[in-house]
Amino acid sequence: MAAQFQLEIITPTQVFDEGAVDYLRAPGVDGAFGVMAGHTASIMALDIGEIKVVKGSVEATYAATQGFAEITENGVQLLVESAEPKADIDLGRAQQAYDRAKEHLNQKHEESIDEARAEVALKRAMNRLRVGGK
Amino acid sequence: MANLKDIRKRIGTIESIRQVTRAMKLVAAAKLRRAQSNMEQARPYAGRINGVLKHLLPDIDRNTHQLLNMRPARKKAFVVFTSDRGLCGSFNTNILKQARAIIDEAGKDRSQLICIGRKGYEFFNKRGYDIVEHYADFWNELNFSHAVKIAEAVTSRYLAGEYDDVRVIYNQFKNVAQQKIEEFHYLPLVLEEDDEKINQDYLFEPSKGEVVTALIPRHLNVQMWRFLLESNASEQAARMTSMEAATENAGDLIDRLRLEYNKARQAAITTEILEVVSGAEALVE
Repeated sequence: MAAQFQLEIITPTQVFDEGAVDYLRAPGVDGAFGVMAGHTASIMALDIGEIKVVKGSVEATYAATQGFAEITENGVQLLVESAEPKADIDLGRAQQAYDRAKEHLNQKHEESIDEARAEVALKRAMNRLRVGGK
Repeated sequence: MANLKDIRKRIGTIESIRQVTRAMKLVAAAKLRRAQSNMEQARPYAGRINGVLKHLLPDIDRNTHQLLNMRPARKKAFVVFTSDRGLCGSFNTNILKQARAIIDEAGKDRSQLICIGRKGYEFFNKRGYDIVEHYADFWNELNFSHAVKIAEAVTSRYLAGEYDDVRVIYNQFKNVAQQKIEEFHYLPLVLEEDDEKINQDYLFEPSKGEVVTALIPRHLNVQMWRFLLESNASEQAARMTSMEAATENAGDLIDRLRLEYNKARQAAITTEILEVVSGAEALVE
């Protein structure tokens, strides 16, 4: 059995304590990266994307938004603004959010800030659709 | 002496008021429990982000980041947290009084307001303050996205240069019996800096600067979330306490009225007996 490490996913509203896991894949801002036991201590910024956790033969996935990962010798903490286990994702709502953001982007905007916000919303919705729809 | 029927009616009225205040107290207690558990949940996340930022900030040049850069505070913005509804004792009165004093000291015409909760909006709107944003009607379904929405709105106006300094005025939840009004420096970001650096050599991905840039909005969001939760918990606690006092007062009042009612009843009976007795005596003679 390969070495394991402790993993916690911490959001402002909930803590998912995954316990000892074998492998983690997280969405870094420069692309997804994998973590196994014995990783160098690091702090990595995370983008909207999918978090994948492998525990023995069990796999868990989350749809997560921005945050960061803190990797120490004791384990990994993922601090993200939201993380939804795959089973909890409401595809209908995600689709609605997707359509809304799409429509928002198609309109002209006076303020670029609205456009940026709509783009982020779109990204979030797409991520949830992708993770939940698998 | 008031007549029996009137007293009975008053007792009935006060009893139904007591029922209402008691129900409100119970509802507030339940909401308070939820707010407290939300605060509990948010603590690890907020604490960790704060911890990491605190260690990183001493290494970052403040001038390179707009949200860190101290610029002369010509215009100030105040975010004031109140509730939507009343019947919570002096919760709103106190904070509005203090907020007004703080804002007037900073200069009314050089200050912009962001009002969270309807009471604050009504108060400052009536008095002609410059309210740039207000939020209401969300306390019942409070969730993290509200914090994000408010934080983003406040930050984007700051970045656009509408104001140079943001203060948050809110009720901090000490315990059920105690709420403390706090003023918090929200922007530019100041953290009590720690001299002790991170005791480990971390690898930063993509880079230290970019990690900080990514972390600051997260930090601002979760701070806003904390203010919402603290204010919400304080409001429910204040409502619970004042409704408990109201229920007790109603009980006292009912006791007093009962006594008065019984006295009046006895007096009436005595009078009646006297009348009968003296009537009988008159017949004998």
